[in-house]
Amino acid sequence: MQKKTIIIDPVTRIEGHAKITIDIDESGKVEDAKIHVTQYRGFEKFCEGRPYTEMPALTARTCGICPVSHVVSATKAIDEILGVTPPKAGVNIRKIVNLAQMLQSHTLNFYHLSSPDFIYGFDAPKEDRNIFKMMQTHPQMARDGINLRAFGQKIIEDLAGKRIHPTGIIPGGASHKIEESTKEAILEQVPDMLKIAQSALEFFRENLHKFQEEIDYLGAFPSLFMAISNDEGTLEHYNGKLCFMDSEGNILKDKIEPRDYKEFIGEAVEDFSYLKSPYYKPMGYPQGMYRVGALARVNIAKTCGTPLADKELIKFKALNGGKPVLNTFYYHYARLIEMIYAIEKIEELLKCDETMSDNVRSTSTVSYERGVGCSEAPRGTLFHEYHVTKDGIITGVNLIIATGNNNLAMNAGVKQVAQRFVDPKNITDGALNRVEAVIRCFDPCLSCSTHALGIVSSKVEVRDHNKKIIKVFERS
Amino acid sequence: MRVIIGYGNELRGEDAFGVDAIKKLQKLGLENTKLISLHQLTPEVVLQLLDANEIIFIDASYDEKNHYALACSLTEQDNLNLSHHISPKTIIYMLKSLYDKKSKFFIYSMLSCSFDKIKDNKRYKNSIDAVVKQLAQKSD
Repeated sequence: MQKKTIIIDPVTRIEGHAKITIDIDESGKVEDAKIHVTQYRGFEKFCEGRPYTEMPALTARTCGICPVSHVVSATKAIDEILGVTPPKAGVNIRKIVNLAQMLQSHTLNFYHLSSPDFIYGFDAPKEDRNIFKMMQTHPQMARDGINLRAFGQKIIEDLAGKRIHPTGIIPGGASHKIEESTKEAILEQVPDMLKIAQSALEFFRENLHKFQEEIDYLGAFPSLFMAISNDEGTLEHYNGKLCFMDSEGNILKDKIEPRDYKEFIGEAVEDFSYLKSPYYKPMGYPQGMYRVGALARVNIAKTCGTPLADKELIKFKALNGGKPVLNTFYYHYARLIEMIYAIEKIEELLKCDETMSDNVRSTSTVSYERGVGCSEAPRGTLFHEYHVTKDGIITGVNLIIATGNNNLAMNAGVKQVAQRFVDPKNITDGALNRVEAVIRCFDPCLSCSTHALGIVSSKVEVRDHNKKIIKVFERS
Repeated sequence: MRVIIGYGNELRGEDAFGVDAIKKLQKLGLENTKLISLHQLTPEVVLQLLDANEIIFIDASYDEKNHYALACSLTEQDNLNLSHHISPKTIIYMLKSLYDKKSKFFIYSMLSCSFDKIKDNKRYKNSIDAVVKQLAQKSD
């Protein structure tokens, strides 16, 4: 048999554009598989020469889904450049907005992008495996998703000015205090939102038994995990030090100051993708593959620090006897726990007296030539590093985007699932869906990581060992 | 009530058509009309449409030949391959299937192939004026 390559293009139900190639060897078995991120943006370059004050607004444009994360990391980087410590109220407002964004982003992934697979199964006809069918058969679930997202988006709008590309998170803190009426309106909705998030997790758990093969083969492998962690060991998304854990649960290195990230994270470039491949430097490339995002965070956290999420975390950690959970499929599980946590934490922060203080911002002028801002975005750890002149003009930018951190792991996942499910002699839609689904587990935001001009095709191509196309499958 | 939604990205040239049309409509103080300006259509938008008996979507649509022509199309490229934003068709379907709301709806699309900058300011503004005029008359 000739060597062949199968290409899945585009990968569907994710944010951004990517294709997958599957190489078939001469004996007819899957030899390798890769995800190619076909977008390109270039934010790091065109930010050069701009005043530092523009960076939160500029970098927020990286994404329409997680702009809050970029604003938070950008303002934290500028805090360092200014040498300011934001007041507690400013920090708490940032935390609430960041959590609200995580909630709406995880909600979108679960209800609108991934749940068709959970409801109808990976082998269901593709005509049924979509949100339209879900609205017919599970209308309450669809309404729940809408309500939960609206809750998160409204918090972002009320506290930070706009749902997309918010302007209220600024260097030194936040632009305005939280009004008492806003606080009450949010708190009033918390019980209903918690019920929705809990029922989503219950639904997922009740259906897990149907997906044992996906749990076992959709990216189930040892890897390192990275997240920011705090002194208490509770789930953390805003402030903390970097922590690397191995697949046995051993801490390889923790208490790393985010500004020292380059000592521990290398960025490799491969010619098949515009997405860089970060790795844990002490172990080298590609052995230093690590995962970030919800799965990494709940593996690294000892507790969530909120009651309902903690109950769920105990059950989650029991999945692998207290050791890190290695199955990529469980990213969905981890996100659902984080949704519950986010609602509880928003309530806790709003009820904190200091959050309602008038003192929401500290001010200063340029004091340092370099600043690094780091936070946990929905998809993982996000780094913004800026260099400025003494007049505050940007001379250098390095961004490590959350999705990028998972690049090596996404490729490992695609290869594993292709080798398990793709039969080159009989390529089924269910098999191709699973290859996409492993990517969807990571909920990648490729628009954040790079960017394309947006023309997408919808086909699977089979190529021989000379990369000549010999067969094409239409995908959509 | 009539709801008019203009959506697009103001940093992407003529993609801002819907948003710019809403800005102009805001100055007219149309009665019984709610105006919504958005970056993109997302699922929770439906909650703002539950009271609407007529919904009007204004956006820019890619077309290489008929630059600045006004059109109405419900054709979608990837209606099953959802990403993080959705189409007017999905919004209407959500209203009907989830909330039993069968509103009348119209789409005003300006055809454009320039999503980097506004290519011809005069023709761009004329297209906005044409939509605004029609919607203002409809209000009367």
